[in-house]
Amino acid sequence: MAAITDVLARPASYSGVWSWITTVDHKRIGILYGTTAFVFMLIAGIEAGVIRAQLVTPDNDLINPGRYNQMFTMHATVMIFMVIMPLSASFFNFVVPLAIGARDVAFPRLNALSYWIFLFGAILMHFSFIVDQVPDAGWFSYANLTEEPFSVNKGLDFWALGLLVLGTSSVAAALNFIVTIINLRAPGMTLMRMPVFVWMTLITSILLVLAFPVITVGLIELVLDRNFGTHFFIPAAGGDPILWQHLFWVFGHPEVYILILPPMGIVSEILPTFSKKPLFGYPFIIFSGIVIGMMGWAVWSHHMFTVGLGPVANSVFTITTMLIAVPTGVKIFNWMGTLWKGSIEFTTPMLFALGFITLFIIGGLSGVSHAVSPSDFQQQDTYYVVAHLHYVLFGGSIFGIFAGIYYWYPKITGKMLSEYWGKMTFWLMFIGMNVTFFPMHFLGMNGMPRRIYTYAEEFGWGDLNQLASVGYVIIFISILTFMWGVWQSRNSRPVSHDPWDAPGLEWSIASPPPAYNFAELPHVEGRDQYWITKQRAEEAGTPIREPEAPVDPSTIHMPSPSYWPIITAAGVGLIGGGILVHFGLSFAGGLITMIGVVGWANEPAAAPQEHH
Amino acid sequence: MGFLPSRWAGPPSNRTGNPERSVQRRGWSRTVVFFGLLAALFLLAVACSTGQQSTWEAVGPVAEKQLQLFNVLLWVMVAVFVAVEGALLYTLIRYRRRPGQPRPPQIHGHLGLEITWTIIPTALVLGLGIWSVFTLFELDEPPDDGPEILHVNVTGHQWFFEFEYPDAGGGKRITTANELRIPVDRPVRLNLESDDVLHSFWVPKLAGKVDLIPTRTNHMWFQADRDKIDQELPATFFGQCAELCGIAHALMRFRVTVMDQVDFDSWVAAYGPPPAVTDRAKRGQQVFNVNCSLCHTITGPDDPGLAQSRLDGFLTGADVVPVPAPNLTDLRTRHTLAAGITELSVENLKAWIKNPEDIKPGNWMSEKAIIYQSGEINLSDDDVDAVIEYLLNLR
Repeated sequence: MAAITDVLARPASYSGVWSWITTVDHKRIGILYGTTAFVFMLIAGIEAGVIRAQLVTPDNDLINPGRYNQMFTMHATVMIFMVIMPLSASFFNFVVPLAIGARDVAFPRLNALSYWIFLFGAILMHFSFIVDQVPDAGWFSYANLTEEPFSVNKGLDFWALGLLVLGTSSVAAALNFIVTIINLRAPGMTLMRMPVFVWMTLITSILLVLAFPVITVGLIELVLDRNFGTHFFIPAAGGDPILWQHLFWVFGHPEVYILILPPMGIVSEILPTFSKKPLFGYPFIIFSGIVIGMMGWAVWSHHMFTVGLGPVANSVFTITTMLIAVPTGVKIFNWMGTLWKGSIEFTTPMLFALGFITLFIIGGLSGVSHAVSPSDFQQQDTYYVVAHLHYVLFGGSIFGIFAGIYYWYPKITGKMLSEYWGKMTFWLMFIGMNVTFFPMHFLGMNGMPRRIYTYAEEFGWGDLNQLASVGYVIIFISILTFMWGVWQSRNSRPVSHDPWDAPGLEWSIASPPPAYNFAELPHVEGRDQYWITKQRAEEAGTPIREPEAPVDPSTIHMPSPSYWPIITAAGVGLIGGGILVHFGLSFAGGLITMIGVVGWANEPAAAPQEHH
Repeated sequence: MGFLPSRWAGPPSNRTGNPERSVQRRGWSRTVVFFGLLAALFLLAVACSTGQQSTWEAVGPVAEKQLQLFNVLLWVMVAVFVAVEGALLYTLIRYRRRPGQPRPPQIHGHLGLEITWTIIPTALVLGLGIWSVFTLFELDEPPDDGPEILHVNVTGHQWFFEFEYPDAGGGKRITTANELRIPVDRPVRLNLESDDVLHSFWVPKLAGKVDLIPTRTNHMWFQADRDKIDQELPATFFGQCAELCGIAHALMRFRVTVMDQVDFDSWVAAYGPPPAVTDRAKRGQQVFNVNCSLCHTITGPDDPGLAQSRLDGFLTGADVVPVPAPNLTDLRTRHTLAAGITELSVENLKAWIKNPEDIKPGNWMSEKAIIYQSGEINLSDDDVDAVIEYLLNLR
């Protein structure tokens, strides 16, 4: 019996590699998400570099067309599912429990499971490079290019199965955060006292739970078509390729808001901090977020204006898409209201947040121009759309995420990132981003379609493409300066627990926070609780309370580390990978998953040494 | 200034990020220079905005109405951009932190403002939206009280466009590929279909794109107006597939030639198989019939039954099988080769026949045709020359 209890016993190490593999601490999982996603960002960035190198001159033959198709497919798929989503997830993980005054998420082991499934799903998809059968039908992978006889290798199986695995990770994480935010708020933190970032996490999580099942249906049908002889999307056999488009975009448009709402939340945290003013129109920012989340379900066919759905359908989706600009505008106006009469300090996180607003306005405006369907008939599938989407996803999401990195880095590590290199990074990225993507508006209007690996000189697209490629180099350098800043920060002096004089609860505890976060759960009396605390102390003339001295972790009940999340996740990954290699492997994966779940359920609540 | 890396614009203090930072007056000129450069970039780009596929140069009513809508949007966008970004910039400069500044007023919101900036954009987008809806319905079908409509059936293939005129004039049916000839000042209504995967038909100067989709028949129309074309007829307009359709998507181009009705009629009258006058051409005809005619029709418009059998063969995915291929009946009257990617000349045609993979990577001819199975063409140079003489009706 002793052996069995040993196997089932929880791991007890709090340092070293094993402590990371078995961790269920939301802060460590957040760091894992962030660093993993950053590695994938470098991969996607290199793919973008190959694209820009190929397009730098007309009739270039640096890479062959098949390789080019792989590059833009993987660049988009990786950036969306393996960079922006997990980077947002890393902030959900690190910040949300701290911001609502909780000691961890509601289901810490499920949280670890989400991360490991994400990692294995991403690795599964990248195995396609090792066997050189890379997905090549675009991140939207329109049927029936994805079907026999047009798709000849296993690339799209890697894609579909990888996304299915990644989807389980996202849904599990989203459920976790919904429950955490609903149930684990500190006493006094009513919904309308929650920080905006927590609100946006909640809305995003609800969107994720509702959107991923739709793409899951589509992906499973695709896998069945490709591996089991069904005909969901094969026209010659009575299937319907348009069905795929509807399934994809019913997921795909909410997905756009899944990518942008969390950075909007980050920006809503940073602007008040560095304006020394509370957020202007808090309820309007919240409700506009909810409205965006709901209206996001009613606009998907604007991706399909040229499909020939007819003027009635196109009219409806034109109007709904135009209207979604309103709540987005409301957010921007409220952010400007926050700045108005403020005391604005241009720190690096603030610069990135302001960069977000500046660039997102451009992306939002160009978005309106292809909401108008007659005008979109010219813009659809051109570089105009490439410009638009990078203004909202790069200028928006990525700038928002970098704002968050610079903002919370001192909380995460206890060290400050160099402001010098931070501002250098910001300006390089801001200039590089505009030099790369602004010319693409004109390329699109000059008739350059997306996803073409070459173009003739007579089209006259050479100069602007060259300019865009120069911009890429500037962005590349900005990523290097960012990494240099991070590398340098290892030597910098430890920083105080509240370097920005910030309003959020996370700043009231030590940096980096102890495993248990709050020695004593905070009591919340209003929005921007830590500002209230500090102001009260100031008025009373008492010194602002330093965070509590560290307490013995064993006196606070915390979830113990566990092996089972990674084992279960490995099983899930193997189920997906097995379909590509041999179904026997899938069964083995299923078995491992089951063992994982059983072990998980029977695991004792605490590590052997602990007694509670 | 605080917003620049501090070594450039101020004392290199506080690099570890102490939030108490001195504010200096220097450095605004840099901002001006920066935005000046952006403006210059913008003007440069506008100046570059012409070209073979420019949507700014509409030559017919459909593209023109679409451009009109975009131009109005563009000015609205520029106005909103200047107003909002200007207000943002003003706020940032005006309310930048000064040393020793007290805590600013803690304003939480303003209901009147919220209502204002909800209602004004709503009215603006609804106005534009309603205008779009009217344009959508207006452009859906060609006017039926104007000149006689020319009907064309367009079929997308990997990787070429097939054009079929059910009645090009006097009841004559025509099948051709990659070059669409249309009479000037007459509405052209297209039925759009696809045989294999999705494609999209797009001639920017004539009309926005519409997708070609297996399982459905889409439609669109356009017209080329003589008084908007600033060149002699026949005038050529460039188009390109706009929906990812596989390896050679970038090379799936085509042209629309706008002609006087008289020239169009004489092209229609002359449409027919090459006559094979010379001996060499006669031999070329034999070589063609043995080696090429399984896929390429040369005897007039495509036979629907034969076309279907080629498609069925293609969809089986078999290694060597007849597949849909451009109709070559009127090749001698065309200007381009291989879906509009090279000019048609004897040399180019020879290079194409001898090694298609070099010119258009991924094409199905070198993949599926028997004569290319060994890796290089299984025809003598003489045979190739004879075929060219036959196809182009050289004397």
